[in-house]
Amino acid sequence: MADIQHYSHDTGWKNTILRGLLYLVLTLFAIYYLFPLFVMISTSLKSLSEIREGSLISLPRVITFDAWTYAWNEACVGVECSGIKIYFWNSVKMAVPAVLISTFLGAINGYALTKWRFKGANIVFALLLFGCFIPFQVVLLPMSMVLGKLGLASSTSGLVLVHVVYGLCFTTLFFRNYYVSIPDELVKAATIDGAGFFTIFWRIILPISTPIIVVSVIWQFTQIWNDFLFGASFASGDNAPMTVALNNIVNTTTGVKQYNVDMATALLTGLPTLLVYVLAGKYFVRGLTAGSVKG
Amino acid sequence: MASLTLDKVRKAYGPVEVLKEINIAIEDGEFLVLVGPSGCGKSTLLNLIAGLEGSSGGEIRIGDRVINDVHPKDRNIAMVFQSYALYPNMTVRKNITFGLEIRGVSNEDRDKAVADVAKLLQIEPLLDRKPSQLSGGQRQRVAMGRALVRDPDIFLFDEPLSNLDAKLRVDMRTEIKKLHQRLGSTIVYVTHDQIEAMTLASRIAVMKDGILQQFDTPQNIYERPNNIFVAGFIGSPSMNFINATLINDNGRLAVSIKRDNDPIVLPLKDAPESYQAYIGKDVVFGIRPEGLTHKRTGSDAPDSQYVNFDCKVEVIEPTGADTMTVVEIGGKEIVARVRPDRAPHPGEVMTFSADMSQISLFDPATELRI
Repeated sequence: MADIQHYSHDTGWKNTILRGLLYLVLTLFAIYYLFPLFVMISTSLKSLSEIREGSLISLPRVITFDAWTYAWNEACVGVECSGIKIYFWNSVKMAVPAVLISTFLGAINGYALTKWRFKGANIVFALLLFGCFIPFQVVLLPMSMVLGKLGLASSTSGLVLVHVVYGLCFTTLFFRNYYVSIPDELVKAATIDGAGFFTIFWRIILPISTPIIVVSVIWQFTQIWNDFLFGASFASGDNAPMTVALNNIVNTTTGVKQYNVDMATALLTGLPTLLVYVLAGKYFVRGLTAGSVKG
Repeated sequence: MASLTLDKVRKAYGPVEVLKEINIAIEDGEFLVLVGPSGCGKSTLLNLIAGLEGSSGGEIRIGDRVINDVHPKDRNIAMVFQSYALYPNMTVRKNITFGLEIRGVSNEDRDKAVADVAKLLQIEPLLDRKPSQLSGGQRQRVAMGRALVRDPDIFLFDEPLSNLDAKLRVDMRTEIKKLHQRLGSTIVYVTHDQIEAMTLASRIAVMKDGILQQFDTPQNIYERPNNIFVAGFIGSPSMNFINATLINDNGRLAVSIKRDNDPIVLPLKDAPESYQAYIGKDVVFGIRPEGLTHKRTGSDAPDSQYVNFDCKVEVIEPTGADTMTVVEIGGKEIVARVRPDRAPHPGEVMTFSADMSQISLFDPATELRI
């Protein structure tokens, strides 16, 4: 990241006003985006009676985590009332393998497409790139037929397969663009040293791919964790991912609408991706730009 | 160590021929430099020897072994790259031993080999550093260490000094030469720098457009270039080419150079038989800047190798050791190498001596040496 630049030669009142204006606009935008989050968090910490009495934006008088524990352990998804926790684990079981497999395959693809150029490599890459632009709705029917034939319908493994297939285009693109900037001589040197395709990949290429692996993991994790369409289409009942369960909790109302539970569930669903961003976000920007600068 | 033979080696990408029937043979322990302008095919030729690219025809032999279809790792060669191509994730030690490790050399042998090479190249303090913590010159040494440690039949260098600054380049050049003298290994070295070629090589192969122009010792290439391209490429400043006519001047062959008022007639010394066919015809007269100097002592003697003529000086370029003096002859700018204390002023008319024992004549149509 570039350092903040100081234009010391132009420090007049004009500059101060402009800077003040800039901060004002930025603050307004920040409030605009953070306000819903504030409402969600504060609502999730209120009791149901307090929500009924108080206003939307008031802070909770008594902070209670009842809604959170209820959402985790007892909330009803359809007729099943055992909370969101099993669906959370469903999502983990789906996202972790799908992210790892698609990232790994993307790395191998990118490596082969740049360092072991074969005839038609460009066409293969162009087709893969094309995959990035296919809307998911288009493939729902053919995909469900394929999953049925493979015996993976309504299973977590099936969802993993779907996400790997549709993530490949993006991960391949990431790794291919990153590897293009790595000099070919590295591979030539290793070839003369006696290393083969996979030895070079494991020992030399993969260890210098950390920035782009982070990018790929964040991107894939966010996509897969937040996906609703595939989850709703290809997994049902107990195998549904968290996003589908969230929808079912919020949309199926029996009796009183429990806003605090809805908010807590939504926050729980969004938390993992938020965490990934907080932990690895700075590598994301760094990794995205790394390849382009060296070019 | 081994000899290397390239027998009618060709390389084509589809219809584009980038190497045309290259024939080169060097003995065990020779230092071959492939030199030429960019795009002449020299790096491709090196890649063919290394096995990183397949040839389209001909035979490549190391010793008596034909290696056309042998995998690079089994050719027993080592290569130093222009970008050094050090593995960025490994320490210097790991970089040097990677090839040995892949080949299953035992730990003790590896440690010993690293120690030897590190001592030879004086990189012992660097062994546990990563390549990113090294300077350009140090990286260069490590890259050479990686090649040396394998004790290969042939070393291949692909423009190894191009990424260094001028001073370091000269130092490393000497170092490579020393190393070669010490180890006596067979080396193939690619460069576009003719000075590197002249200083390092035991034999030079000058290439252009995929065609081998001349393959000879540095001195022979310098003194007897095969054609105008080689003559102009090797040597700095470049050889002067003057359009002239070969004439019979009172029973002696001479070149006559047109000039407004009177032609310059330079009698040849020990003209070879091959010149006879060109009497009365146009030729390209080639003379190196050091063959054109201030008036030499003894140049007035009738059988002297020096011939004097007067000419007006256009520009002078002092370099310290010599002063490059630019004159205009036959419509072309000609550079003479003059001792600084004899240097003229621009505009002055000065007497020059041409050393006729060090000249070349070329056919203007074929550009080949006569």
